[in-house]
Amino acid sequence: MPTVHSKQDVALMAHLLRRAGFGATLQELDRCLEQGYEATVEALLSPSAPDAVPEDLIRRYHVDQSDLRNHAAGAAYWIYRMVQTPAPLREKMSLFWHRVFATAATKLIQARMVANQLDMFRDHGMGSFQDLLLRLSRDPAMMMWLDNQDNHKGSINENYGREILELFSMGVGNYTEDDIKECARAFTGWRVVNPDYMSIRMRNNTARPYGYIAWQFEYDDTDHDHDEKTFLGQVGDLNGEDVVAIICRQEATPRFIARHLYHFFVADEVPVPQWPHTAPRDPQAIDLMCQAYFDSNYDISAMLRAMFNADFFKSEAARFARVKSPVEMVVGTLRMAGGLELPSTDTYAAVGVCAAMGQFPMNPPSVEGWQGGSEWINTGAYVQRVNFASRVLSDPGKPGIQAIIGRIRDLANGRGLSAEELVDACLHIVGPLEVPDSTRDGLIEYARSWGDVDFADAASTAQAERTIVALLQLVVTTQEYQMV
Amino acid sequence: MTTATFRLQYSDAIGFVADQGGRGFHLPMSMVIRGDGRIFVVSRSNTQALDIVGIQMVTRGHEFFGQIGGYGQEPGKMIWPTALALDRADNLYLADDYLQRVTIYDRDGAVQSTWGTKGSAAGEFDGPSGLLFDADDNLLMVDHRNHRIQKFTRDGQSLGTWGAYGDGDGQFNLPWGIAQDRQGFLYVADWRNDRIQKFTPDGEFVAKFGASGDGDGQFNRPSGLAVGADGNLYVADWGNQRVQVLDAAGNFLLQLRGEAKLSPWAQEYIAANADESAARATYVPVFDVDTADANEVSARIEPYFWDPVDVVLDDDERVYVLETSRHRFQVYDKV
Repeated sequence: MPTVHSKQDVALMAHLLRRAGFGATLQELDRCLEQGYEATVEALLSPSAPDAVPEDLIRRYHVDQSDLRNHAAGAAYWIYRMVQTPAPLREKMSLFWHRVFATAATKLIQARMVANQLDMFRDHGMGSFQDLLLRLSRDPAMMMWLDNQDNHKGSINENYGREILELFSMGVGNYTEDDIKECARAFTGWRVVNPDYMSIRMRNNTARPYGYIAWQFEYDDTDHDHDEKTFLGQVGDLNGEDVVAIICRQEATPRFIARHLYHFFVADEVPVPQWPHTAPRDPQAIDLMCQAYFDSNYDISAMLRAMFNADFFKSEAARFARVKSPVEMVVGTLRMAGGLELPSTDTYAAVGVCAAMGQFPMNPPSVEGWQGGSEWINTGAYVQRVNFASRVLSDPGKPGIQAIIGRIRDLANGRGLSAEELVDACLHIVGPLEVPDSTRDGLIEYARSWGDVDFADAASTAQAERTIVALLQLVVTTQEYQMV
Repeated sequence: MTTATFRLQYSDAIGFVADQGGRGFHLPMSMVIRGDGRIFVVSRSNTQALDIVGIQMVTRGHEFFGQIGGYGQEPGKMIWPTALALDRADNLYLADDYLQRVTIYDRDGAVQSTWGTKGSAAGEFDGPSGLLFDADDNLLMVDHRNHRIQKFTRDGQSLGTWGAYGDGDGQFNLPWGIAQDRQGFLYVADWRNDRIQKFTPDGEFVAKFGASGDGDGQFNRPSGLAVGADGNLYVADWGNQRVQVLDAAGNFLLQLRGEAKLSPWAQEYIAANADESAARATYVPVFDVDTADANEVSARIEPYFWDPVDVVLDDDERVYVLETSRHRFQVYDKV
């Protein structure tokens, strides 16, 4: 007999799994409730399971996801990983860093390099921020995205030197223009192997003659500026490693990262360019995460742990307070429906609908990433959302839908279910969602139009399945389902 | 210990990424060589470049004769082409995993017929992935999602099936390619079991070679394969990004990792683009890589095989290795 958990516990756990992942199936929710909230946070922070993605099958059937050359294939491959992962926070953090360290396949031409960068986020996105920032500085996609192959001794290109400070670590107002130049000098000689040929192929947007050639980081000491530099008050023959270490010691760095984490996981902040002039929504939350950062020697997991266990995250006011990003909505719906255990062209359709809603994975609109929030919802995007979710949930044969039907059958326990009971069960399973009475009344009226639900025989079971599917398709069109 | 009494010497690369159409291939899956030297290569391509989906025709002398078929569901077209085979009359057979059908083109490339029904009953199939005409001119098909081999007449009448899902002798897990030696023994690349199985012409299990791994004689998802006149087995060790050669008893002889140089088509392209030509002058194609992932290594090192999917021998026992992600095949001479 499964343990009965309080409504409050269920709602809180569902909130955690929506924010720290992409929502939960009934089985996942049950499993997490059994182990408790804080243990679930720890399990999310330290996933032991390897990804369940069948790379060999994906590459055999979707051959374009083997070379990962074009954007649609690269993004579809990522959708597989997000839907299938047993470690949703690891994947969510990859999405988080993809937003902060926004790098787009449009310029890089080969989506594979963004995929490799995401692999790096997957492996190191919840560890030491110093380690992550150093890996980012050596990441071939980042090198080419911000032109560091053109950053030479005696002839700097300050693009990466500027953005690592402005967008990736400290934020405007915490350094000078001279710091940017000195930072760029520290990163001279950091480039990819065969820089000239790789650059010209990228510029010419060509796969010729034999397809793309993936990039590899290379440090060229002969092209590195070894003269003395002064960066944020530190003086010496500073190299990129030194600069990263100095950045990570600054008070501004965890403040900037904490504000990003808050914006992504807790509640919408104002756009990043306004941060120097606008106080955080919750300064105490930022302080808490900064303290965790320094106490743990710059550990991202420590910041996340502090956040997920804090009242500001757990409070009822925080729940359903953010608009789901297109990727969150699409991946969450696909996870709920199940059925992607084997390769499917559904992943390409998922990419298409994300792109149509303004979030093409691997293609952020600029180096500043997606702002998100209410920008995700407009009339056209809403129609895309609703149509996609309804289509994905249309097949009662999918394993996730079967699990939902099974749960409702258990609830019926041999008797018929009223329209009210059915609507409440669906809202509970999909959220739990709390909807206004007018919405609930509308759902009940719709459910009633499909007739009674019982599982007495094969015919009535088939009818019940159709009713449940139809109701689920309507539930995901509610405003509440668009929130996370 | 077995020692190879021969070696394979790189001789040529034929191909070019034809993602925008024209001369070359795009994500090719299978190839077959006709007696007169014409080579047929089928390109899967991707959703962004559908014009190149089809069967390209070339020769070892780098001649290009256009393509047969195209993307679509109509007779003669294809969605997910997987395998090619030639019957004794030089009719060309194409398997399509998505459409679940076999298409037959005559010697001139005209569509003769199509047949096939998805299912698991005799005569039905689910995911045709390897084709071979046996000594009796019957068509052997690797019916891969049914984990079995099925024999058909040339017009699609089932003559029997063998195999089932599993990892026991004579069982399969998503098999891919099939080949036959001069004695009539059949070899099947048992893809997800990381082994090659040998059978009599009637499907009786004879032997199995290999195990999971990347050592000598081990496999990571073998795909296409071919057998030489001496019984040596040439296996596209797809997941390990190499070709392995085994003797008739299954002993490891040698392996190839690929060493392509620029084909004449590639040279013409480079010569016609001054900026790329100048930059390529300082390009070092083979360098020390900082990853052990064979797929990623192949993505970085252009001369290496990248997704070697099929191996074919011609009448002179030259070895042709088709690479999906490099849009070319490399040719090796036996010396």
